[in-house]
Amino acid sequence: MSLLSLNQVNKRFGGLRALTDISLDVEEGEILGLMGANGAGKTTLFSVICGHARPSSGEIRLGGESIVGLRPDQVCRRGIARTFQIVKPFGQMTVMENLLTAAMFGPAAIRRRDRALGHCREVLDELGMGDAASQPAHSLTLAMQKKLEVARAVATGCRILMLDEVMAGLTPTEVNEMLAIIRRLRLTRRLTILIVEHVMKALMELSSRVVVLHHGELIAKGTPSEIAADENVLEVYFGRAAP
Amino acid sequence: MWLDTLLSGQLLFSALVTGSLYAIVAVGLNLVYGTMRLLNVAHGDLVMGGAYLAYWSLTLLGVPPLLSLWMIGLGGALIGLALYRSMFRRLLIASADPGRVEANSLLLFFGISILVQNTIAWFATPTPRAYLYLDDVYKLGDTAMTGNRIASLVTAAATCAGIWLYLRHHVVGLALRAVIDSPLAARIVGVNVEQVHRTSFVLGFASASVAGVLVSMMEQFSPFVGFPFSIAAFIVCILGGLGNIGAGFVAALFLGVIETYGIALTSLNWRSVLLYGVFVATLLAFPQGLFGRRVRS
Amino acid sequence: MNSTAFDALLWTALLVGFAALPIFGGDYLVGIGLAAAMWLALTQSWSVLSSLTGYVSLGHTVFYGLGSYVVVVTWQQTPLAIALLGAGAASAAFALLVGLPVMRVRGPYFVILTFGLAELVKYSVLALEAEMGVSSRLLFGAPDIRVIYGLMVALAVAATALRILVDVLPFGHGLRSLRENEEAAETVGVPVARYKLFAFVLSAIVPGMVGGVMAMRSTFFEPIQAFDPTISVNIILMAVIGGGESARGPLLGVLFLVILSEWLWAKAPQAYMIILGLLLIVFVLKFPRGLAGWLADWQRARR
Repeated sequence: MSLLSLNQVNKRFGGLRALTDISLDVEEGEILGLMGANGAGKTTLFSVICGHARPSSGEIRLGGESIVGLRPDQVCRRGIARTFQIVKPFGQMTVMENLLTAAMFGPAAIRRRDRALGHCREVLDELGMGDAASQPAHSLTLAMQKKLEVARAVATGCRILMLDEVMAGLTPTEVNEMLAIIRRLRLTRRLTILIVEHVMKALMELSSRVVVLHHGELIAKGTPSEIAADENVLEVYFGRAAP
Repeated sequence: MWLDTLLSGQLLFSALVTGSLYAIVAVGLNLVYGTMRLLNVAHGDLVMGGAYLAYWSLTLLGVPPLLSLWMIGLGGALIGLALYRSMFRRLLIASADPGRVEANSLLLFFGISILVQNTIAWFATPTPRAYLYLDDVYKLGDTAMTGNRIASLVTAAATCAGIWLYLRHHVVGLALRAVIDSPLAARIVGVNVEQVHRTSFVLGFASASVAGVLVSMMEQFSPFVGFPFSIAAFIVCILGGLGNIGAGFVAALFLGVIETYGIALTSLNWRSVLLYGVFVATLLAFPQGLFGRRVRS
Repeated sequence: MNSTAFDALLWTALLVGFAALPIFGGDYLVGIGLAAAMWLALTQSWSVLSSLTGYVSLGHTVFYGLGSYVVVVTWQQTPLAIALLGAGAASAAFALLVGLPVMRVRGPYFVILTFGLAELVKYSVLALEAEMGVSSRLLFGAPDIRVIYGLMVALAVAATALRILVDVLPFGHGLRSLRENEEAAETVGVPVARYKLFAFVLSAIVPGMVGGVMAMRSTFFEPIQAFDPTISVNIILMAVIGGGESARGPLLGVLFLVILSEWLWAKAPQAYMIILGLLLIVFVLKFPRGLAGWLADWQRARR
């Protein structure tokens, strides 16, 4: 059984069809890349999975159980954590306090402060953020805030980590660093990862499988090399080849 | 028998007078909020200021309100200008974190309101004032209308119409609407946003001061009279959509109607219940703060 | 000495002070002590909601007024203890009733909404009483001022304990997180809507009972007075001046304003209000964390 499976998920906003008949399975331990132009529906898909929006129709199952209609905090406690494209740190709180919230309220549910502190410190160290623990989140650079987003999501103790354009705005060095971090986290935390990315290099290098969205529809599924050669994908991204 | 009351011209006239007054009080708040996202709870105190100035102009200088209102309006405009200049620095500091600023700005204006109200009370004592002016009665059929209320209705309506036309046809007016719609986009297309902010302040302060003169002609007032007007202005702005000037005028008339007919049909006891009931209901119905749900004016 | 030990000493000393007051002080001092205890109880409760969630309530007098009303209406028909508990329960029930829709409104709209709600309840009670032909109510056989004082101190203790408790529990951390960013908080597992409602209800209980106790003190109930908006304003002033980051803040704010008002109110009430306005402006602009925050910074710098 797949860890996360979507079956014929549709999402309409009034007359606009944001998602049409999306069916996909995410296997435990894999890194699934999500590709598509702006407006293709990637953010909507994230919203629908995490409970920020309710699908108009279709099924979403986590470990076999339906999560449709659950609130975002309930979805989180079932094991799904996400980052936001535009970072949303708890600005006036320190980096450590940001993670503490996740550790206390996420699936890890560590209520005792000393244990929670230990847990969060481990996560911070894995991301190379140990030194920044007592800094207020609003004072961090963008790159650090993006790392904080990832750290906070991981600190929840989730099984599935959903990354929404986590490389956006990073320099090539920072991108490479983030790639290494994600790979490492997947192993040490036994994560299954769903990643939306525009930085193609990052997406292709990380993902074991890629799906492509276009106008709310899934137009291709496969390994990175299969996708790179897929005719539909090439047409959507580059236009029809001259006859 | 209550049908007679309902259909009477008297009530209609009263509703129009009240509604037009709310319209002119609210338009200033709407402009300042629309362009600068500042909820000025001290707005009603401008009205109070205008009332006192009109009173002193009449009793100390012998200048009748219909004349002094031009000077007072101008004075209000100048004060608005001066305040805008001195506030500009604070806005720059405050722009660090917009979310926290909005809630804090409310407390700030609240402090200003307390300061202003009690300073006036200190100098002028808290006793209510009133004066008689144009209180000869005119009759139109069954409807008795005092001169001052007719004057108020005409002045308020004219001022609102003037502002409306300005927004529609004058270049700065168009710029104002652009900034209300989207400050960032307006800036990108070259609108001088600072000039627009200045204009909002000036128009807002001027119209509120004039409203104060009108209030002083019709009712007695005290240093604390501003507050109910702030509330009414809020209701009007929220009902019509913050930043939506045209809808604000309609909402003001609507509020005037509800209040006037409401009192007539029930009793004075229920006036405030109605007012605040509408207020609470509107806010609860539009928890997103209305900006996204505006109808184009 | 570390922070927790200092706090323990502070609160114990305060309690001892409150307890000693009626023994060594005359009625005048007890009156001041009563005022201080009342404002402490109100402001600590308010801070559980507004300092922690960022939803600033300008309508807390509604709970005070409702509590007063319950005690007055059930006067001499129910035992005092039941009436007081009923006052707290009625406030909590009202908060529960309106809490969910009210807390969907954010930022400055929430502030004016709570104000409007308090006024709505005030005028509704007024109209209701008028329909029943009642213009004001008198209470006979109210307890002695020292009993009232004791009750109020107990309420101040309860409210302070609540604030301290919420601060150490994960609940408080969750509230602070949602203050920073509601969407993100929900995404890491904080049940935002439930927590907001809970904070709202918790902040209503003690103010309801405070209103009940004060009804006995004044032995007179009239809706305009009982639902006085200046109560809401004073609470905010004390919280802004004192600071909201910990239970110390309201204490500092209350002490400051009670002393200031004792000094100025009788002599020059307008001057007092003018100073209050100025203080509010200065503190909002320059000292957002209040006296407690300023003190904490000073302590930290000294180390």
